[in-house]
This record gives sequence, structure tokens and C-alpha cells, in this order.
Amino acid sequence: MSRTLEVKVLRQADPHSGSHWETFDVAYEAGMNVTTVMQRIAANPVTADHRDTTPVAYDACCLEEVCGACTMVINDRVRQACSALVDTLLADGAGVIEVRPMTKFPVIRDLVVDRSPMFQSLKRVKAWVRVDGYYDLGSGPRVTRQEQEEAYPLSRCMSCGCCVEACPQFNDHSAFIGPATISQAVLFNSHPTGKVDRDDRLAVLSGVGGIVDCGNSQNCVKVCPKDIPLTDSIAKAGRDTTTYKIRQWFGR
Amino acid sequence: MADQPVSPTQDKYYFLVRRLHSLTGLVPVGIFLCVHLATNATVMAPGEPGAMFQESIERIHALGPLLVPVEIVGIFIPLLFHTLLGFQIIFTSRSNAQQYRYGGNVRYMLQRTSGMIAFVFILYHLWQMHWFGAGLGGGAFELHDEAGVATGAATTAAAIQSAWWVVWAYRLGIVATVFHLANGIWTSLITWGITIRPNTQRVSGYACTALGVVLCAVGLGALRGFATFDVTSADPEAVMSSGTRPAERG
Repeated sequence: MSRTLEVKVLRQADPHSGSHWETFDVAYEAGMNVTTVMQRIAANPVTADHRDTTPVAYDACCLEEVCGACTMVINDRVRQACSALVDTLLADGAGVIEVRPMTKFPVIRDLVVDRSPMFQSLKRVKAWVRVDGYYDLGSGPRVTRQEQEEAYPLSRCMSCGCCVEACPQFNDHSAFIGPATISQAVLFNSHPTGKVDRDDRLAVLSGVGGIVDCGNSQNCVKVCPKDIPLTDSIAKAGRDTTTYKIRQWFGR
Repeated sequence: MADQPVSPTQDKYYFLVRRLHSLTGLVPVGIFLCVHLATNATVMAPGEPGAMFQESIERIHALGPLLVPVEIVGIFIPLLFHTLLGFQIIFTSRSNAQQYRYGGNVRYMLQRTSGMIAFVFILYHLWQMHWFGAGLGGGAFELHDEAGVATGAATTAAAIQSAWWVVWAYRLGIVATVFHLANGIWTSLITWGITIRPNTQRVSGYACTALGVVLCAVGLGALRGFATFDVTSADPEAVMSSGTRPAERG
């Protein structure tokens, strides 16, 4: 018995042209994910109404939900194509599979977007641990078990863009840097060596587009594929920026 | 998004201004709302109709010449600041509650909607009751008539009863305003870094819901008190002279 999936894809030829929907019929296979669906379309780029078209451009890399490259909006919810299983989508009651690129990033072609704003924001908050020089610095400060357990969930962020895609405050009319970046700033501020840049990070978080632009819709934590406690990070950043600003105003 | 240009002065006061937005909503405006609704609820007190309400507002008006500056500095300036910045915040938001139907996202959308409803309602309410509106055909509330007879409850009730839809406008206005405060307290606890963990936020959510329900009950109860207040039972001379009998307002 063969079953056909109806797959709708929002196509866009290049960054400057308009977008349009195309529908494809794809033969169902047990256990297939949305990346597989894209591969089948690429192998036979013919629309449901039998017109030849170009293969759908899409990003995919690790295929195990750790790189974030294949993030797209599938059936109205942002997620990774690799971990979006067709069976699950069908079980969720969707008759069709509707795939479109993320809306908060510039589209390069079809489902491929430019996520570089995510990386620009990470640079602004110095989301790294500064290591000064190549010589042996000796062993680092001791990190308690509890600190490790706090930091690890935050370190799972893959900058996929799900949180900002679902965030109503991250848009063309707002300078908000987004939950992922705030969470990374909190992560590196909690690191015993990363702490040296603490005030630089808090300066960015307390500026335009920083923590005060969060509207507490808490969509970020709901859509995060890595279950990162983003709202915990946001509340912590709210507390830390307040004390940072008070220190600033009182000259220390 | 991240690469939007930013002016340095905007950057310097951005945090302070946004924290003041949170603070003004809580302290002067939020506390005022609680006091205001509680004062109005005294109209339901047993005994002579409207007597305790009259007594409560007499106590407020005992400030005499200080009342207007206190009102302006303590309520209107913070409220205006909160409102103007609130509109700016609304302009930077793009609600997607249709797409992502999570409770928090719906409350995010409602916080902005209730703020706009409260804005329109408060303008109407000020025009209708406050002396601000007196020159524009409003300003119905009178503490006393010319003869010095207490008319606080009677004039308020007459204004509430002046048309069938007024009580509905007040119901909507009260519910929207109370929601805006209760949800605002919940988000401000996150904003100020007081509630961090999801469990703590859940508990604070219950507390804010309880506060909202109580304030709604107080506000809607007070409204009911005015809506059912027997305006004609008050001294007819006094009501006539203050010109606020429902029939005369047409």
C-alpha cells in the first residue's frame, strides 16, 4: 500500500524576489523526517500539478538536532526539519505538511535563511571565555557540581533561531537581541573565567535591544528544541542588569 | 533587529526609562487603582445609601488645595508617562498569539490590548466624572451641590445610569484595567528578577490571579452599587440642582 503526502513549500528564488507556494506529492515512507521529504522533492522536482520546477533549496547538516541549520517553520511552528518526523506531524492532525522559511531572517533562497544576526548578537555580548595567550595558565578555578548543572543546559544552545522566530518582540520594529543571546551572556557571566567580561556583557544587555525589550510572552522557552531554561536566564539578566545599573549610577 | 542604528542618548537612558515604566505602573498608578476601586466599593456599605462613600471621598477631599497637585504629580504624570511609553512598546511588538497559542503569549497580547482599552476607558472616565471634563459637557461628579448637600454617590450613580451602555463600558474598562495591573505585577516580578524559576513564576501567577479576581470583584461590585443606586431617593432638590438626573441628561 502506498500513501502520498501533500507537501506545500513556500518558494523564493532569491533574496529580492517575491515568494509563492508550490505543492508536491511525495510518497510516504515509514520513519521519514522533513529533510527526507526535501530529498525526495529534490530527486523529482515536479509539482503536484505535473509542472517541472527547481529542487527546493534547504539547509541540513548534522541531522540529529545539534547544529540548527535546518530550522524552518513546519506546520506553523518553528522547528528543525531533521527532528520533525512525518508520522508525528500526521499524528498532530495535519493533513498536509506545510514548510516555509523562518520569517525573522533574510531569505537567501527557498528555505535557506541568513542567520548571521544571531552570530552578530553573540559577538556583541562577547559570548565566549577570553583566554589570554597560549602559555600554560595552570588549572582553572574549581567549578562546583551545582554550577556545572546550572551551566550545562544553557551550553546546549545551537543558535538555531527558534526562540527569536517565535518571539513577538524580535521583529523589524524592535532592536531586541533575542532570548538565545541573553541566555549565552548569562552562561558566560556565570563561568569563573568568563566573569572577567561580566560588565561588558551587562552593558549590552542593559542597552537598547537588551533585556528591557523582552515582553515576557515566554514563547522562547516553549519552542526551544533543546529545552534551555531561557526564561530563567531572562529573569536572571533582569536582576543582574538592575544591580549593574545601580552600581553604575553610584559610581561603582 | 540587532543591527538597527541606535543613538547614544537613547542608549544612555533606555534602561532607566523602561524600568521607570515598570515602576510607575506598579507604585503610583497600581496602588491608586486599588485605593480607587476600594473607595468606590464603599457605596455598597450598609446603612444610609451612599453615606460611607461620601465619608470616604470627603476624607480624600480633606486635602483641600493640595488635592490637585497630589493628583497631578502622584497620578496623572506617572500615568501619562506609563501610557506614552506603553504605546511605544506596543509599536515595537508584533503579536503572534494566533500562531503560537501558549498561555503566556495570549497574556502578552492581552496585556497590550488591555492597556489600549484602559487608555480609551480612562479618557472617557475622566471626561465623564472628573472636573477635567466639566468644560466639555462631562465632569458629572460633584461632592456637594450649591446648598452643601452631599451628592457624591448620587451624581456618580446618575452618570453611570445616564445610558444603558455606560455600565457595560465600565465593566469592560474595569476588567481590562485590573487585568493589566494583575498581569503587569506578574511580569514585573520577572522584569526585576524577583521570580526566576518557572515554579516560582507559577506561584506568583496564582497570587496575581487571586489579586485580579479580588480587584475585579471589588470594582464590579462598586459599579453594581452605582448602577443600582436609587438616584431619586436622594434629596430631589439636591439632585435637581446638580442637574444630573438621568432623565435630564437624556
